[in-house]
Amino acid sequence: MLEISGLTKRYGDFTLDCTMHIEPGRITGLVGQNGAGKSTVFKSILGLIRTDGGSIRIFGKEQGELTISDRQKIGVVLADSGFSGYLTVSDIIPVLGNLYPDFDRQYFENQAKRFELPFRKKIKDFSTGMKAKLKVLAAASANAKLLLLDEPTVGLDVIARDELLEMLREFMEKDEERSILISSHISGDLESLCDDLYMIHAGHIVLHEDTDVLLSDYGLLKVDEKQYAGLDRQYLLRVRREPYGYSCLTNQKRYYMENYPGIAIENGSIDETVTMMVRGKEV
Amino acid sequence: MKGLLIKDFRLMKVQRSFLILMFAVGVGLALFTEDGTYAIGFPTFVISMFTVSTISYDEFDNGNVFLFSLPITRNGYVAEKYCFGILLGGAAWLLSSAIVLIAGIARGTGALTELCFAAGVDLPVMLILLAVLLPVQLKFGGEKGRVALLIALACIILIGSAGIKIADMLHMDIAALLDGMPVPSLGAVLAAAIVIALLLLAVSMGISTSVMKRKQL
Repeated sequence: MLEISGLTKRYGDFTLDCTMHIEPGRITGLVGQNGAGKSTVFKSILGLIRTDGGSIRIFGKEQGELTISDRQKIGVVLADSGFSGYLTVSDIIPVLGNLYPDFDRQYFENQAKRFELPFRKKIKDFSTGMKAKLKVLAAASANAKLLLLDEPTVGLDVIARDELLEMLREFMEKDEERSILISSHISGDLESLCDDLYMIHAGHIVLHEDTDVLLSDYGLLKVDEKQYAGLDRQYLLRVRREPYGYSCLTNQKRYYMENYPGIAIENGSIDETVTMMVRGKEV
Repeated sequence: MKGLLIKDFRLMKVQRSFLILMFAVGVGLALFTEDGTYAIGFPTFVISMFTVSTISYDEFDNGNVFLFSLPITRNGYVAEKYCFGILLGGAAWLLSSAIVLIAGIARGTGALTELCFAAGVDLPVMLILLAVLLPVQLKFGGEKGRVALLIALACIILIGSAGIKIADMLHMDIAALLDGMPVPSLGAVLAAAIVIALLLLAVSMGISTSVMKRKQL
């Protein structure tokens, strides 16, 4: 569906160096701190910026060779940009209807009513939550094969986030060939939604793992100096000095549970894994 | 392009009061002045310039980034702006010409030749205005665009003044030169003006396309 190989983009001191694969039928998450390079990845995929190297293939074609018809199969949500604030929901319906031949007007209108989006109010006067819902709804109504969602839940309360994630699940249920690439710095959103996750830090992908594996096999070992000295370190990914000794990230939690019954082992949440991958030292 | 055109026509609602006011001013000019060029030109120029405003509305709140992530091309965006400008300016020109004609007939002063001359002068001027303003707005945006236009205007005045000075220094009488030129028919002059304006518009569109292709969003 989407293959990014050796993509590079330089902005002054910042360099993006990224390789990712998004498979059909899967929701792939891109998690990272603000400024890690998530939006640069999205802008590169969409051809909004010139890249300095690498290749981006969508539907088997190089990004620059995509036709309008190919692009009609891509729905987009961008964190810091949306429809002109001077338009209303009523205004954008015919616009989307003409830009996307498979635009599902009935679905769009029904969902807009369900989300209580005013049809005749200017978008610039919408609340943050309303704007976010409208953006995701517009992308989901285009009957696209691929959704590219950059921070779609930013600034939303828990209920609004849940409604949006539900909409994305419904989108995936309609066609098993559809895919979503979604970024967020709120890992909880991605944990419950994504099949696999990429972690990006300072422009580099530091980890790619299936979400199930991440939640079942990754763990944090909390050990003192003595325990650390006797620890088999071959399955440790990162280690970080703590007041009590060491915190160690592993992707073989069960191995340590079975062989070191005396040490404290916590299930690895995405946040903790990200923190350890970013701040911990390689073993 | 149809989707983008719909967007721009919908954006006209934002300036609805202003556009109605301009139309009313046009009607007023048609009724109370006998200067057809001005009565047709004023609403035509002002209303066609709304095309430039739509570029600002597109850029509002970083909206361009999202707009170009939709299934449109940069070439298509530029073509749509020119198309919208011609449609809008053309409609304003036709309407104001009709009003001036009706007002002239009602006053009993409506000479068709004068009206054709007035309308014929205003049409290429409107096209040239679009040809100048659209690439400037696309390249520099709202604030910088105004500065760029002022600089361009200053340059034209400076070049004109320098030309006159040079002609004076060379003891050339420009007025005599112009008087000595053969006088073609009015229709030929207007047709030539429209052709030149369309050529300028085509060149301008090429420049705008190149500006948009280089733009990083």
